[in-house]
Amino acid sequence: MGKVKIGLVEFFSLTVLFELGTALVVNLGMGAGRDAWLSILLGCAAGLMMFTGYAYLYRKHPNQPFTAYTRQILGKYIGAPVGLVYIILYINLAARDLRDGSTMLAMATMHNTPLFILSALMLLSGAYVLHKGVEVLSRTSMVFAFVVLGIGLFGTVMLILSGTINLHRLLPVLENGFQPVLRSVIHQNYMFPFGEMVCFTMLMPYLSSVKKGPWIIAAAMVFSALLLSFTMALNVSVLGADIVERSPLPLMPTISKISISDIIQRVDIFVVMVLIIGVFFKMAVFFAAALIGISDLFKIPYRKMLYPCALIILFTSMLDARSFIEHLDEGGTLLYRVYPYLMIVVPALLVIVTAVRDHFSAPRPG
Amino acid sequence: MRNRIFGGIGVLFVLPMLLLTGCWDSVELNRRAIVSGVAIDRGDSEAERYKLSFQVIVAEEISGEKSRGISPVALYTGTGRTMFEALADASRQTARFLSLGHVRVLVISEKFARAGIKDLLDVLERESDTRLNSLIFISKGQPAREIMSTMTVFSKIPANDLVEKLETTSKQFGYNFRMAVDDVIRGIQIRGGGPVINGVFTRGEWTPASGSNDSLKSIEPRSILRVSSLAAFKDDKLKGWLTGDAALGTVLLHNRIKEFPVLLKQQEGGYFSFNIYQSQVSLAVESSDPEHPVFTVKITQQAALKEAPHPLDLTSPKVLEELSDRLIKESVKHIQAAVSTAKELGSDYLGFGRALQRKDPRGWKKVRDHWEDVFADCEIRFDADVVIRHTDMRSNSFQIH
Repeated sequence: MGKVKIGLVEFFSLTVLFELGTALVVNLGMGAGRDAWLSILLGCAAGLMMFTGYAYLYRKHPNQPFTAYTRQILGKYIGAPVGLVYIILYINLAARDLRDGSTMLAMATMHNTPLFILSALMLLSGAYVLHKGVEVLSRTSMVFAFVVLGIGLFGTVMLILSGTINLHRLLPVLENGFQPVLRSVIHQNYMFPFGEMVCFTMLMPYLSSVKKGPWIIAAAMVFSALLLSFTMALNVSVLGADIVERSPLPLMPTISKISISDIIQRVDIFVVMVLIIGVFFKMAVFFAAALIGISDLFKIPYRKMLYPCALIILFTSMLDARSFIEHLDEGGTLLYRVYPYLMIVVPALLVIVTAVRDHFSAPRPG
Repeated sequence: MRNRIFGGIGVLFVLPMLLLTGCWDSVELNRRAIVSGVAIDRGDSEAERYKLSFQVIVAEEISGEKSRGISPVALYTGTGRTMFEALADASRQTARFLSLGHVRVLVISEKFARAGIKDLLDVLERESDTRLNSLIFISKGQPAREIMSTMTVFSKIPANDLVEKLETTSKQFGYNFRMAVDDVIRGIQIRGGGPVINGVFTRGEWTPASGSNDSLKSIEPRSILRVSSLAAFKDDKLKGWLTGDAALGTVLLHNRIKEFPVLLKQQEGGYFSFNIYQSQVSLAVESSDPEHPVFTVKITQQAALKEAPHPLDLTSPKVLEELSDRLIKESVKHIQAAVSTAKELGSDYLGFGRALQRKDPRGWKKVRDHWEDVFADCEIRFDADVVIRHTDMRSNSFQIH
């Protein structure tokens, strides 16, 4: 642990792909209607505040993952179970993302392919990359970050040229006041996808620079928030708020509106690519966080637990819900009632304990 | 050793999976029947609520090599209580899988449109194969399936011909414009308003022979598809047809027109022709009292002189100024015609309500439930500006001495 170091650029692209993940294709923040773009930006601001807490903990323990310093801060008997809870959280998050991804694929293109096969294939590719190591994952992310950004640029330019963008559809801003935006932020946007950055507490020990590292990750968060906000604004300005609200994958119909002289059209397969890439990285990062936690907590070599852990994720994702609707409903509840404890309350406690202890143990002049 | 054997077996299982990704859902191209257009009619009984006619491309006839000289498209009709049932019914009659990914045209019969089209749009946006880009038409005064079974001159596939006709009329001298599935869905959701959809009909009486290649053998085809008129809706029900000035004004307000001709009558007899090639219309709202909003229609247009057989001094800016003033009156007349027709039909398909909503969301909330009444007696002002940029290749016109 801690020997392999990952460069800042790689970390930047990994963070961006993690944040974009599934959030890019789903109807993110549509609780706020046509002001979704605003609620994403606010969510990012809240996410950054949470991230300063994680960064503070990281700076205090630059060579340890989250599960290790919980034990150091809270003691063995409280710290170890807390670490275990986080491992379960990461496995759960990986499984939920896998289910998201495979169901969306089935909805969008592969109607008759069994969900299990889709999930298994996606998970196996993730497991293979993690078998090669986290540094391989981060370098892979650089390649795919270019692919995703390229597709985004292509899609935007083509939509502009197709003349389907109507900015009037974004007006009026804040029609029902600020409340729906705030509600959407509280129910969803600060947690998804920004609060999920908690899993980077497991990966940050790989950062090659303790000083610059957190800044780079924060910059990646802001960058991806801008991209997400832009994408949602694009969706709404092409389709109108109502259609976006009712589509589980609004980017798909948006991109399908591209039609240039009936020659360049039907490019919605690009969205499927973005979806697969996003789900792959998001799931792989959670998966990696869980593996690092297991190897740290139980002192089992990282690769040995790879396939057992993959099976757990696969079956969790399959058994998680009977239908996608149930899955989403469950996700909404978890996002609002469970994750805040793990992503805000526990880290905040750790920060407070560390700060107080530092304050009293620091050598005082005089 | 044992690990290696297990590993080997594992690899053997996984490799074929990697080769077969995405094949689970594959349908070979020669097992697909590509649907180019769909006609939606209303049957007489409840069991025939939806009567869908699919215009299917017969690929062999298009590419030529193996063609048998039969019709390049075939029409299959299915009926059912829902769209999906009707699709299933039609699929049972074809030898291949009906593939809805390339539907370019959806024609809805007038009868259906008058009864309401909301229910049939749901399947079109829900189904992942169909596209939001398919164009919607209303068949004016005749069953939709007649439109889908008329042979056309310029394309072997009649649906494509229809699309091209729309493109041509929308670019030149026509007031029809591209109206896709999502435009219609958004239109239906306008409070107090509705969508505007292109009309289509056959010129010349439609007979079963119109669907035959023989119809095209004479210089004058028996029936010609014509894209004309606009169907004006209130919510999802057709209320009336717009033609002439009312239709032109409607499209001007939607800013969807490229160019159109305008004629000015001379007092000495005869006409001036202008081509308006640039038109921008925007709505401004003054809503200190939302119950009585005042709309200002701002029109900016550029015109080119096309025909001027009179001995007028066209080199004088003053003369052109006078002509511009008359063009302004003409534009205002178009918009007024559109607005008065909309008020008559009791539907705000022109987007005045949305303009108010954008400008004054709070005021809009007060009036949205009875917007029809507010719209019926709201005041509309005009602020128009038309410039005649040039007189084309000659200044004054030639005269007989």
